[in-house]
Amino acid sequence: MKDLIITSRQLKKEIYIFSACFVAAFLTNIVSIILFKTPWYEVFTQIGYVIFIALFLYLLVILVRVIAYMIRKLIKQITHGN
Amino acid sequence: MSKKKSKQVDTSLRQFIKDLGYVSGGAALLATTPWLQSFTPDKAKEMKKEKARIGFIGTGSRGTYNIHAVLSLQHAEIVALCDIYPPNLKEASGLCPNAKTYTDYRKMLESADIDGVIISTPLYLHAPMTLDALDAGKHVYCEKAMALTMEECKAVYDAYRKTDKVLYFCVQRMFDKKYIKGMQMIHSGLIGEIVGERCHWFRNHDWRRPVPSPELERQINWRLYRDYSAGLMTELASHQLEVCCWAMQMVPESVIGTGDIVYWKDGREVYDSVNLVYHYSNGVKINYESLISNKFNGMEDQILGNKGTMNLATGIYYLEDEAGGKKSGIEQLIGQIGNKLYASVPAAGPSWRPETKEKYIPHTILEGEFHVNDGLSMIGALKDGSDEILSAFCQACITGEKGKNIVEEAYLATMLCHLGNQAMAEQKKITFPEEYKIPYMKFS
Repeated sequence: MKDLIITSRQLKKEIYIFSACFVAAFLTNIVSIILFKTPWYEVFTQIGYVIFIALFLYLLVILVRVIAYMIRKLIKQITHGN
Repeated sequence: MSKKKSKQVDTSLRQFIKDLGYVSGGAALLATTPWLQSFTPDKAKEMKKEKARIGFIGTGSRGTYNIHAVLSLQHAEIVALCDIYPPNLKEASGLCPNAKTYTDYRKMLESADIDGVIISTPLYLHAPMTLDALDAGKHVYCEKAMALTMEECKAVYDAYRKTDKVLYFCVQRMFDKKYIKGMQMIHSGLIGEIVGERCHWFRNHDWRRPVPSPELERQINWRLYRDYSAGLMTELASHQLEVCCWAMQMVPESVIGTGDIVYWKDGREVYDSVNLVYHYSNGVKINYESLISNKFNGMEDQILGNKGTMNLATGIYYLEDEAGGKKSGIEQLIGQIGNKLYASVPAAGPSWRPETKEKYIPHTILEGEFHVNDGLSMIGALKDGSDEILSAFCQACITGEKGKNIVEEAYLATMLCHLGNQAMAEQKKITFPEEYKIPYMKFS
């Protein structure tokens, strides 16, 4: 079994992606407070939902990246095969 | 009914009015409950230390309940008792040893030592006894409903219009704090525009009382026979129909309904199951149901508004924008996205989404503890306004002041009951007859 090495560059990339997802989730919470006229303290009290949505978005991004990777690999195989 | 200690009831009307939030002038309170204007603190002062001399006609279960209430009043004394059934009279006499006893109520009415009478007899006797008592110059308090027939109701109303004597009927919800407060909230627009009314009364009881010998069957179980009773409508629905009209500030113009004897097939003549729809001129309906062979749903008086629901019987109201509980903004957003996703599923269309009843946040009409009538007692519930209305009547016997709107409310409630019975009997829509309309009633 090979050792799995995560470089600091890769880690930084994942942190940036997750941060973007968190910001998107946080802004969603802000928008919903404005739309439904609920109290502003929900910025803090609904942090659980924000984290959950951030994780959901992050997983969605991972899924997209995995699909993109698989497509790229398939194209490579096809072009090398030719 | 076994002997009990006198109820320790604080029926101080002064305190009652204060508890309702009466402030000087009381315009807000009296707008919803004009009958309370006779019992403001200023009016209470007029009574000084006088006592109303009260005679009881009918000392059965409800009569005894009323005796206990009057015994606890500072401003009343029981001076006479009348009943044709010796065991009831004997028991009542034990509670009021100084009261003179009679078996003929007409003889009792001849006494000059009585200011007012409280009539707690079977329904078919309400009108004749009330009219005789008014003729004899007595103030009268009569148990609900007003009378056995529409003709008798009109006769009582007409007599009331002519007399200077006080006349009360036991429409006790008019003196029940949670109903009064609830109505103030409704009339102030808390639940928005009234769009429907739903009342029901469910019990699981045959309504029968023990009968010592067969010839007393119709006398004791009078509620079961049409010569003496109008059944579930006058015994139960009358209260709830009055509440509905009070909320709407209107009277329904027609009714349809159906009644049956479904379970208690024991020789009774009145229905044990009734379903009716009363229709107001603006399209709002009262859906009324009563069944006495299942008590799952209890008793409720629901006033449905476009912004909320007031359940007066339980003393709780709910607001439409709190359906599903008080959700946060993000929960509501997720909910909306979820609903859109469901709606987009092509199979089976919108019916695929289940519309089960949502949970609402309950709000109480009154602060602190309050009594709720579970509707199971055949005699009467605790703290349901009965003590207050009796106290009010006894005060009125002293001041001579007629109660505002009480007779009118009792009249319209009883009339609606009889119209409901007529609709069930004739199996057709019955419109409120012109000859029985009174100026107090508003139909549009």
